[in-house]
Amino acid sequence: MSAVIEKHDHHHGPQKGVLRWLFTTNHKDIGTLYLWFSFLMFLTGGAMAMGIRAELFEPGLQLMDPIRYNQLVTMHGLIMIFGGVMPAFVGLANWLIPMQVGAPDMALPRMNNLSFWLLPAAFTILLSTAFMEGGMPGFGWTFYAPLSTNYPNIAYFVFAIHIMGISSIMGSINVIVTIMNMRAPGMTLMKMPLFVWSWLITAYLLIAVMPVLAGAVTMLLMDAYFGTSFFDAAGGGDPVLFQHIFWFFGHPEVYIMILPAFGITSHIISTFSRKPLFGHSSMVYAMVSIAVLSFVVWAHHMFTVGMPLAAELFFMWATMVIAIPTGVKVFNWVATIFKGSITYETPMLFAIAFVVLFTIGGFSGLMLAITPADFQYHDTYFVVAHFHYVLVPGAVFSIMAAVYYWLPKWTGNMYDEKMGKLHFWLSFIGVNVTFFPQHFVGLAGMPRRYADYALQFAEWNAVSSVGAFLFGLSQLLFLYIVVKAVFAGKKATAQVWDGARGLEWTVDSPAPYHTFEIPPKVKG
Amino acid sequence: MAKNSITSRIVLSLIGAVIFMFFFSFMLVPLYNVFCEVTGINGKIYGPSDFFKKKEEVVSRNVNVRFLSQVNGSAPVTFFPTSESIQVLTDKVSKTSFVARNNTNKELTLTIIPSVSPGLAAEQVKKVQCFCFEEQTLLPYEEQEWPIRFYIDSELSSNVNNIYLSYTLFENDRKLTVSMTDGK
Repeated sequence: MSAVIEKHDHHHGPQKGVLRWLFTTNHKDIGTLYLWFSFLMFLTGGAMAMGIRAELFEPGLQLMDPIRYNQLVTMHGLIMIFGGVMPAFVGLANWLIPMQVGAPDMALPRMNNLSFWLLPAAFTILLSTAFMEGGMPGFGWTFYAPLSTNYPNIAYFVFAIHIMGISSIMGSINVIVTIMNMRAPGMTLMKMPLFVWSWLITAYLLIAVMPVLAGAVTMLLMDAYFGTSFFDAAGGGDPVLFQHIFWFFGHPEVYIMILPAFGITSHIISTFSRKPLFGHSSMVYAMVSIAVLSFVVWAHHMFTVGMPLAAELFFMWATMVIAIPTGVKVFNWVATIFKGSITYETPMLFAIAFVVLFTIGGFSGLMLAITPADFQYHDTYFVVAHFHYVLVPGAVFSIMAAVYYWLPKWTGNMYDEKMGKLHFWLSFIGVNVTFFPQHFVGLAGMPRRYADYALQFAEWNAVSSVGAFLFGLSQLLFLYIVVKAVFAGKKATAQVWDGARGLEWTVDSPAPYHTFEIPPKVKG
Repeated sequence: MAKNSITSRIVLSLIGAVIFMFFFSFMLVPLYNVFCEVTGINGKIYGPSDFFKKKEEVVSRNVNVRFLSQVNGSAPVTFFPTSESIQVLTDKVSKTSFVARNNTNKELTLTIIPSVSPGLAAEQVKKVQCFCFEEQTLLPYEEQEWPIRFYIDSELSSNVNNIYLSYTLFENDRKLTVSMTDGK
């Protein structure tokens, strides 16, 4: 059974010292590495966001020139997406998928090690541009050509993206092989926990679109250094083509960052409502349909480039259709909560906030999907508010919920519940104070990606900045709570939460270094 | 072991999918161009026209054609149309011109890229002669007048009465670099 685990591994625990982390092939160690790395990136990208909000606290240029501002906006986006959210989900996948399907480890443990260690290399390359003449990339995380092809240091950006992409692809291959090949006997596909399902779909999306991103940055590199004209009109290329290729990657990428959150939320809501999840299989079908639809909606990011009416209508309707499977999920969560014996521990608070605030973000997405309305909203702060609502109280809250939920399983210690709740409320208030006013200034016409703005937007921007500082600082509390739970705290039982169901709750807390070396039997 | 061979089969097919998607992203380039050429949706004009093909009798009407000029980035050229707009009869060849002046003491090679708005009218803008068909050269401080002959095909959709003909001038072999110094 344990063909992929070398025999001698059974008889000793982890190596000591730093070499343990460098050479580890253990899914739990690698999961921990991913999670800490993503937290480090979350703080780095967050510090950049603090810089952005400090500059926008009042109109005029106070702290930085517009070029520095653009660099911060660009790096904030790249770091949060590729360094924060995605590695955090991969870390959770590493920790949880083998335990949830009853496998001893990931299917390809050495590749697993490599896919983690590529990430620090990629971000070192990307961040090293800060110390170079020409500075960091400042063309926005969407790196529209031909602006990006004319930027200095673009090769560093391109190679960093390539390495991140290779890392993600290897991680996805690992996830798919583990799920397809290493499930415990009796665990049919439809019996798989939803987090596993969400990751199986996410991994397929990554396999499909990360190579397209690699292709896009390769074309960019060739345009910049090898005299091709993929996106340069002077040589017969087309800048609009870049946007099509980019968003063909970009839109599935959006769902890559939210599908695992759907899985996490399903587990937590079911646990703390003490009810089985309502509509397990409809949840699976909803995620599959969201994933399939994500390939045919990309042009809603570029309604204003001048597409024919038929295309505008197609992309508008296709986008709106996504609201149906998403609605199925939201209603299923609500139905799970309905008449449950609910308790409000920190993970549950984050999960409920996820459902409510993600739905707000979904609704503003529907508004943006309306083509004629989008001509007004396009590239305003309304868009910024929309995607931060689905990414911060969406993806990031779900990651925090997951950390609180599974932390006792990982460390063996309960986190400080009072502090956890405090962290939740500070984050909840902070997020809403930051991003809700951005809807208002966006509808009033404040454009994104500028270091300065008209006086009429001053009040709401000041409010937004205060909220951002609150949200940013309260994450230090999160760090404190997690570190404290690693070293001390009430001992957790194996099941941890009394409503918790699933294989990972059948092993001790903290989870032993090796679990399920003999596969468990999954009953009907 | 059987498990191992299943593993390598899945891994190989996934790697195959990755390689396919990588090349698919490059396939998008010709696909996009073919798609645009067939549907004529992005305002691009593909080569000289076939004016001398025999045509059926159609009623002519007036269309207002406006001319726009742009210089890409910081190319040291002054570039403008001699008339901002003209009324033309459909199927009748009209002539106008653009003026370009080299503001440097160096010889410049230039490419001029046309674009038509509304994009769906691009197919009906037929150019008989255009400076955009080939590269142009300007000697130091030289000023040239570039003629353009075109007609609007009477197959033009009846709800189009205004056509914008825009030209963007690019300087060849010169990389724009985004200036990293702020405007202080």
